[in-house]
Amino acid sequence: MGSKSGDTQDSPQSVPLDFAIAVQTVMLSKVDLTNTAFCITMRADLDELVLSIQKLGLLHLPILKYNAPKYTIICGFRRIAACKRIGWETVPARILKENVHHLQLARLAIADNASQRPLNLLETSRAVNLLADVCADPEELEMTLHDLGLPSSPSISTKVKKLCQLPLKIQEGILAETINMSMALELGKLDPKAGEDLVALFGLLKVGLNKQRELLLMLKEIAKREDTTITHLIADKALQNILQNAEMDRAVKRQKIRSYLRKRRFPYIVRAEENYQKLVNQLKLGSKIDLIPPKDFEGMTYMMTLRFDSRQELHDLQKKFEKIIHHPSLGKILE
Amino acid sequence: MTLKKLYIDQLIADHPTTRLIQARLTVPIEIVRHSQQVYDAISSTADPVRQGKEILFLTHNRGAFLKKCPGTSHYTCCDYQILHIGTFCHMDCTYCVLQNYFHPPILQYFVNHEDLMDELETVLSQKKVMRIGTGEFTDSLIWELWTDVSSQLIQRFASQHHAVLELKTKTTAIQGLQNLAHNRKTITAWSLNTHHIINTQERGTASLASRLKAAAKCEAWGYPLAFHFDPLVIYDGCEKDYAQVIQNLFSNVSADNIVWISLGTLRFPPALKAIIENRFPESKIIYEEFITGSDGKMRYFKPLRIRLYRKIIESIRELAPAVLVYLCMEDDEVWQESLGFKPSAVGGLPHMLDMSAVKHCYLETVQ
Repeated sequence: MGSKSGDTQDSPQSVPLDFAIAVQTVMLSKVDLTNTAFCITMRADLDELVLSIQKLGLLHLPILKYNAPKYTIICGFRRIAACKRIGWETVPARILKENVHHLQLARLAIADNASQRPLNLLETSRAVNLLADVCADPEELEMTLHDLGLPSSPSISTKVKKLCQLPLKIQEGILAETINMSMALELGKLDPKAGEDLVALFGLLKVGLNKQRELLLMLKEIAKREDTTITHLIADKALQNILQNAEMDRAVKRQKIRSYLRKRRFPYIVRAEENYQKLVNQLKLGSKIDLIPPKDFEGMTYMMTLRFDSRQELHDLQKKFEKIIHHPSLGKILE
Repeated sequence: MTLKKLYIDQLIADHPTTRLIQARLTVPIEIVRHSQQVYDAISSTADPVRQGKEILFLTHNRGAFLKKCPGTSHYTCCDYQILHIGTFCHMDCTYCVLQNYFHPPILQYFVNHEDLMDELETVLSQKKVMRIGTGEFTDSLIWELWTDVSSQLIQRFASQHHAVLELKTKTTAIQGLQNLAHNRKTITAWSLNTHHIINTQERGTASLASRLKAAAKCEAWGYPLAFHFDPLVIYDGCEKDYAQVIQNLFSNVSADNIVWISLGTLRFPPALKAIIENRFPESKIIYEEFITGSDGKMRYFKPLRIRLYRKIIESIRELAPAVLVYLCMEDDEVWQESLGFKPSAVGGLPHMLDMSAVKHCYLETVQ
């Protein structure tokens, strides 16, 4: 069962007239569901669309092109799938002339999606890839992207283009807003499993881009130093113990994982910092005195700050100051 | 790397030195009006650094030939004078700072030696003790293949008594030095490193054994020697390996003939890290424990530097207690902890080096 009068429900602006032949009813078995070359949408859910079609019929007709022996879907992948799920055997559709240029087909497919909703990053990526395949040169691509309201600057479109070629889990990370485009591209350069593991780690820790970059850098460099893989490092028992600890909240986990990785990346420096802190604690500076070491212990100048509200308080600090000067721990710090 | 093309600045196309070099090379030649044409040709390639090593650009130096070593105020500098004969190098060391120093880096040679010699005359006429070297912006001896610059300089320095020329190299291109009357005013110097570092990080350079053999030959020809352990690279087993290099060094040359040995741990501007990662993905040297030094360069964490310096100095002292060892670009604390004194206590590093040059190269000091 299928719609018999789709043309009256179709928006006249949706397809330029010279592209279309009259509306035809097509056997669904004659539609090639495996050819997704023109598929832009990332949406897989059909429930609402199925209900709508069941209630109101097919308001907006799919656009097909006959490529013997089957019809290729240009627009309406979800509508065709919904009709099939409902059990229709035929579907009304606009059938394009056989001589329509591939670029025009691509424009139709993209415009059909973009006119309904803003495209997400991966749909945009699919659109850029589709156009890149059919545009004669970079100038034509840039112009077409601009016409369609897509990112047209070559530096951006080149990056966007890569997104839909990334491993699936990284694409899912983009859709879930766990990672942004720049991080996705970074992860795309890694071994696919490492990319997946990092998306999962970032998702669990819910870390922003800066922290993601810090974690990625540490993991990459530890892997290099230790001749191992990022996947192996993430699977490490010590890291997993923190990640899986149900009693620890996410902020604590983030902090502990960062510390763990930093210690593994810079073991000597972290040990020196810990020793320094231990000695500072022995000085019992209190809340009014700070001792600041040279950055990375590279220079030779230490800085001490005193905070006071009254002459009496300064006098008290003076006594404390005297004790600090003669404290053996200060000697060890300055050695 | 092999030269693939010779670019010649139109202005010096008929210069005798240009003709000489042209005659020694059998590569395609392109005459250019502006250096920008060469820069563009290099910059447009996927690996401009590699490309810059495969071409030679003959041009003239419009600026000064003698420059002060680009040290910084935060660390003790040796006050070396650089004789700017050319730029870059056809060898390909992972850590080479020149990859990031010139934009773009190009193997470039200045043919206007008449200007170089004029400037040198002016400086030498001051009759001050000076240490002048060609191995800062390039390797001193890579040019031996195509030019006579070393022999010209050696002969000029031989005829005066106040300055020394240091030729610093990782090659064994010493044949042209054999029969020159150098008058001990040229120090032949080698950068040394462990087998592991030479094999993994110093692509296209001579082996350690060849370098030491070349140094022994130069010693036999009467040249004073110097050695530079720079960069010292930290890796598992490095201390033992450096001790072995020191053993090899002193079994090849005489400690008495060494004017100085410098030590400097690996340091690099932050921007070099990405270049090393991209050009040498197998290299691990940048993943050690670095901090940002007071001069903005990445350096090993200070206690790690001190530990390595101490070990190496101990090895040198065992075999050559009197040889002058100095640290390149380190602060007083590192000097004190590693060598047991600060340069200021003995008149400063430049003075220490000058005095060693006076002693080994028979320089005259100004009365």
